[in-house]
Amino acid sequence: MSLLDSLRGLLGGGQAKYGEPIVIVSGLPRSGTSMMMKMLDAAGIPIMTDAVRTADVDNPKGYFELERVKELEKDPDRSWVREARGKALKVISFLLKDLPDDNAYRIVFMRRDIDEVLASQNKMLVHRGEQDTTDDAVMAEAYRNHLAAVRIMARKKDNWSIVEIRYDEAIRDPAAVARKVNAFLGGRYDVQRMVEAVDEKLYRNRKTA
Amino acid sequence: MFGLGKTQSIKLERDLYDRVKKIADVAGYATVEEFVTHVLEKELIHFEDAKSDDDIRNKLRGLGYIS
Repeated sequence: MSLLDSLRGLLGGGQAKYGEPIVIVSGLPRSGTSMMMKMLDAAGIPIMTDAVRTADVDNPKGYFELERVKELEKDPDRSWVREARGKALKVISFLLKDLPDDNAYRIVFMRRDIDEVLASQNKMLVHRGEQDTTDDAVMAEAYRNHLAAVRIMARKKDNWSIVEIRYDEAIRDPAAVARKVNAFLGGRYDVQRMVEAVDEKLYRNRKTA
Repeated sequence: MFGLGKTQSIKLERDLYDRVKKIADVAGYATVEEFVTHVLEKELIHFEDAKSDDDIRNKLRGLGYIS
C-alpha cells in the first residue's frame, strides 16, 4: 500500500464527502475477481449481486456479479452505483472509467499473468460458443496498455484508493493476502474465513516455468 | 509546438541517447528533443486513448462482461 493510500485510509477515504466507501473488486476477467468476491463474502462484507449469472464450469463457485454493471459504459444513469456504499461490487477493469465520481472507491485490483488470463478467457469463449479471431499477442499488448491506463487513471482520482493483489500469491499464501486486503479495508473483517474461501484447485490455467 | 511550453529534462543512458540521435538525424528531425517528443506522444496515445480499444471491448462482450 502506498503512503498516499495509507493517508487516505487514515482520513477515512473522503467519507465525509462521498459517504461510506464502496469496495470494488476489479481486474481483467479471469484474474481472480470472483475468488476475491468470495473471500469478501466469507469475511462478512455485504455483496451487491443479483445472482443472475450463476455458477458454471468456468466459475464453479459463482460469479458474484450484478448485471447492471455491464451497462455502465452505455447507460448514462449511473446513480444506482451509490446503492453499493458499504458493500462490495465487482466491476471489471475496463469499466472502472465509467464509475461515477460521487462515491469513494476502495478498489481491490486482481493481477494475473496475462498469458494465463488469455488462456482462461479463450477457454471461456469456447464454453460460451463465442468466436474471437483477435490474435493473443495483440490482446496481450492491448491488455498491458489498458492496465497501465488504469494505473494512470487511479493516480488522478482522489476518490479512489487501490491495492493490487496477485492471483498466484493469493493461491500460494492466502493468509498473507487476506491480511493485506483486510488491512486495506480497515481491519474489521474475518481473515480466517477469507483464507478458507480460497480454493487452489480452481487455479487451472497455470503457466508452467 | 516546440519551445512554447515549460520543459523538464530527463536522463538517458549514453548508448540509448546515441541510438536515438542517429535515428533522429536520419529521419530528418531538427533535434533529438523533437524526435523524442514525437515518439513519446505517439506512445502515450496507447494509454490515454484506452476507451476506444475495440479489441478489448469485443473480447469482453464475447465473455459476457459488458453488454
